[in-house]
Amino acid sequence: MFFQKKRCIAMLLAGGQGSRLKVLTEKTAKPAVPFGGKYRIIDFPLSNCVNSGIDTVGILTQYQPLELNEYIGNGQPWGLNKTHSCAQVLPPYERHDKKSGWYKGTANAIYQNIDFIERFDPDYVVILSGDHIYKMDYADMVAYHEAHNASCTIAVRNVPLAEASRFGILNTNPDNSIYEFEEKPKKPKSTNASMGIYVFNWSVLKEALIADEDTPGSSNDFGKNIIPNLLAAGHKMMAYPFNGYWKDVGTIDSLWEANMELLGKEPEFNIRGDERTKIFARNSALPSSYIDEKAKIVNAFVAEGCDVYGEVRHSVISVGCTIGEGAQVEDSVVMPGVVIEPGAIVRHAILGENSKVERNAVVGGAYGPGEKKAISVTSKGAVVAANTVLLPGEML
Amino acid sequence: MRVMGIIFANDASLGELTTKRTSASMPFGGRYRQVDFALSNLSAAGVRHVGIISRHNYQSLMNHIGDGEEWGLELEEGGLEFLTPYSMSTSHTYRGKLESLYSAMDFLEFGGDDEYVVMIDSAVLSNIDLTKVLDAHVKSGKDVTMVTKAGVADGKRVLDLAVKLDEKGEVSDMVVDYAAPEGYLASADIFVLNKKWLIGKVLEHMARNQFHMDRDLVLGGWQKGEVSVNVYEFPGVVMYNDTVEEYFANNLALTDAKVRADLFGYNHPVYTKVRFRVPTYYGEGCEIENSLVADGCMLEGEVEDSVLFRDVTIAPGAEVDHCVIMNDAVIGEGSELKYVILDKNVTVRPGSKLIGTKKNPIIIKRGEIV
Repeated sequence: MFFQKKRCIAMLLAGGQGSRLKVLTEKTAKPAVPFGGKYRIIDFPLSNCVNSGIDTVGILTQYQPLELNEYIGNGQPWGLNKTHSCAQVLPPYERHDKKSGWYKGTANAIYQNIDFIERFDPDYVVILSGDHIYKMDYADMVAYHEAHNASCTIAVRNVPLAEASRFGILNTNPDNSIYEFEEKPKKPKSTNASMGIYVFNWSVLKEALIADEDTPGSSNDFGKNIIPNLLAAGHKMMAYPFNGYWKDVGTIDSLWEANMELLGKEPEFNIRGDERTKIFARNSALPSSYIDEKAKIVNAFVAEGCDVYGEVRHSVISVGCTIGEGAQVEDSVVMPGVVIEPGAIVRHAILGENSKVERNAVVGGAYGPGEKKAISVTSKGAVVAANTVLLPGEML
Repeated sequence: MRVMGIIFANDASLGELTTKRTSASMPFGGRYRQVDFALSNLSAAGVRHVGIISRHNYQSLMNHIGDGEEWGLELEEGGLEFLTPYSMSTSHTYRGKLESLYSAMDFLEFGGDDEYVVMIDSAVLSNIDLTKVLDAHVKSGKDVTMVTKAGVADGKRVLDLAVKLDEKGEVSDMVVDYAAPEGYLASADIFVLNKKWLIGKVLEHMARNQFHMDRDLVLGGWQKGEVSVNVYEFPGVVMYNDTVEEYFANNLALTDAKVRADLFGYNHPVYTKVRFRVPTYYGEGCEIENSLVADGCMLEGEVEDSVLFRDVTIAPGAEVDHCVIMNDAVIGEGSELKYVILDKNVTVRPGSKLIGTKKNPIIIKRGEIV
C-alpha cells in the first residue's frame, strides 16, 4: 500500500476518562461530550488540524470508545476521508511481545502506535488532547518550531499566578527557550502554563519514546517523563505563546462556563468562523427548529431540530431538543435530544444527552450576582420525574 | 426486489425562482432542496440505482447532489446518474416524460437486473415508504401503480392527473390537466412500473409521436383497455409546489407541528447536503414567533409566521412576517417585510418596506440589494 509522505501529522490523545465530568462521562469518553449545541469536544482539535492543513490524524482511544468511534467514523465531517488523508482511530491492541495492553500513559499510547506514524514518514508530529475548547492554527506553531530549529515546541499561555500550580509550568529564557519544566509546582516560578499541545521532530520523539518505554518505573507520560527527559538531554525546546481563547473543559463548572462564553453579541469565544477557522462537526439529519408563538428566546444558542414552546434565556440548546409550553430554561446547557416538559424549570444546569425533565419538575436554583453557583447535572437518559426537584449541585 | 429510481427534475416552473435552477434544486423548508424528498424516499426504500432527468438549468442541481453521498448513492455499481440532454442521444430538450425516458434508454436498459422502476417528480414532496407501494404494485398484478392523494381535487385546482375509483377500488374515471371535482384522487406523481414493460411502452409511444406519460401512456392506455392501473392511496402529507403561490403556502405550512412530523419523520429522515453552520443565535431583543429557523442565523429583530434558511441576519428593529427568507439574507435595521420571498443572498437595506400578498408574494431575486 502506498502512503504519501507527510511533513506533519497529528496524534490526538482521546483515551482519557475525564472523571471530573462525573456523570457526563460515565458512558462517554470526554472528547465525545457534546458542546456548544452541535459539537463535541473533539471537533475543536480535529477542525484545528484540518484548518491548519494537517490531513492525517491518529486518534488514540481507550475509555468508553463506542460513541467516540461512531462519531469519528471515517472522518468525513472534517474532510479526513480522502485518498491521502485520514482520521484513524487507534485503540490499544495485542502484540507479539509483552509490550501490549492498555495504554499506560500518554507517551505509551504514542509508543504503541509508532508503526502508524512511520507509515507517513513525518518530519513533525503534533501531539494534541481532546480536552480543550480553542481555535489555533497549528501550522503557525510548526513554522515557529521549524524557524527556531527546536526538537520540541510546547504551546503555552499565561495563567493567573494563583492558578499556576494546577498546570505544567514552563520556565523560559527571554527568547522563549525552555530551561525548566515543572509539573503542577507548589511554588510556580512563572505563569507560562503548558496547554498540552506539543510539536516534536519525529526522529527525536521516536527515540525518546523507545528510551522511556525501556525505563522501569516510568509513568510513560509526556509531562512527567518525555518533556523533562528531553530537557535533561539538552534538546532545544521552545515555548510557543498563545493568546487566543483556550478553555480546559475537564470539570462540570468549566464545561458550563465554556458553553456560556459562546453567548452574547460579542462572545468571549466566537465559534462562528471564516473558512479558515470554521469548526466542523458531524451533522444530524434534522429539520430546522420550530419556534412557537408562545416561545421567548433571549441571548441563546438553539441548534436545529428543536421545538421550542417555552422560555429560554442565556442558554445553549443542542440539536433535537423539545422545550415545552411554560417551561423556563435559564443559564443552562441542554445537550442533544433533551425533552423539557411543560411547566418545568431548569436553571444553572447541564442536562445530559436524551435526558428528560418532566412536567413541573425543577432543576437547579437561582443565584444573585457574584453568588457561588452549583451546577445541577443529569446524566445521559436520566429522567427528573414530574413535580420533583433536583437541587443545585445535585447529579442524577 | 431490484428497483431503479427515476427522478424528474424540471417539471414545475416557479417564475423568477426557477430561471436559474431546476424545480428539483428549489430550496425548501429552511434546510432542503425539493429533490431531497424524492432522493430520501428512494434511498430509504433501498433503491440504489437512480437517474435524474433534467432538461435545463441543472448546474445548481448537480452542485447540490454531487456524487449522492448524503443519500447513500455514491456507489461503484449503480448509484446516481444525471441524465441531461447532452449526455443522451438527443441534443434538444424533451417534450414530455416519455421522450425523456426514450432519450435515457441507455440508462434504463443498463440496469439489467432491475425489475421495477419508480418514477418520481421532484416538485411533489412527501415522506413515503416506497417499499409498501412496490409491494402493492406486485400484489396488484397491474401494469402501472400510481400513488394518489385524497382531498386535493376541489373542482378549482387543475390537476395533472386524477382518478375516480368505484366501490371495488377499481379506476372508474381518469382525467388529465383538468380541475377534477371533489372525490377524485390526485396523482402524487409517483409511479411504479415493470421496467421491461415500460421500455416497450416508451418505444411504442415514441413511434406514434406521443410524448406524455400522464396523457398518452396512463390515460390513453387505460381508455383503450390496454393498460391496467392500480391506485395506491397515500395517507400522509403531499405537497404540490407547482406555482409560486403553492410553494409559498407550503413553506409556511411547515410551522404546523403535524405537517412537520409527517413530512420530516413519517417514515424516515430527509437527508440533504450538509453545509455545516453554527447554531442560530437569538439576541437580546429578538421576538420569534411561529417560525421555522435553520442554523447559522443571527436574530435580533422580529420574525413571525416565516421560514428562515441558514445564515440569515435579522437586524434589531426589523420585522419579518409571512416570509420565506433563503440563505445568507441580511435584513437591515427597521425594515419591514410581509409576504415576501427572498432568494439566496439578498440584502435588504435598513428601513426598507416590502409588502406583498398571500397570493402574490414579492420575490426578490438572488443576490439583489433592495
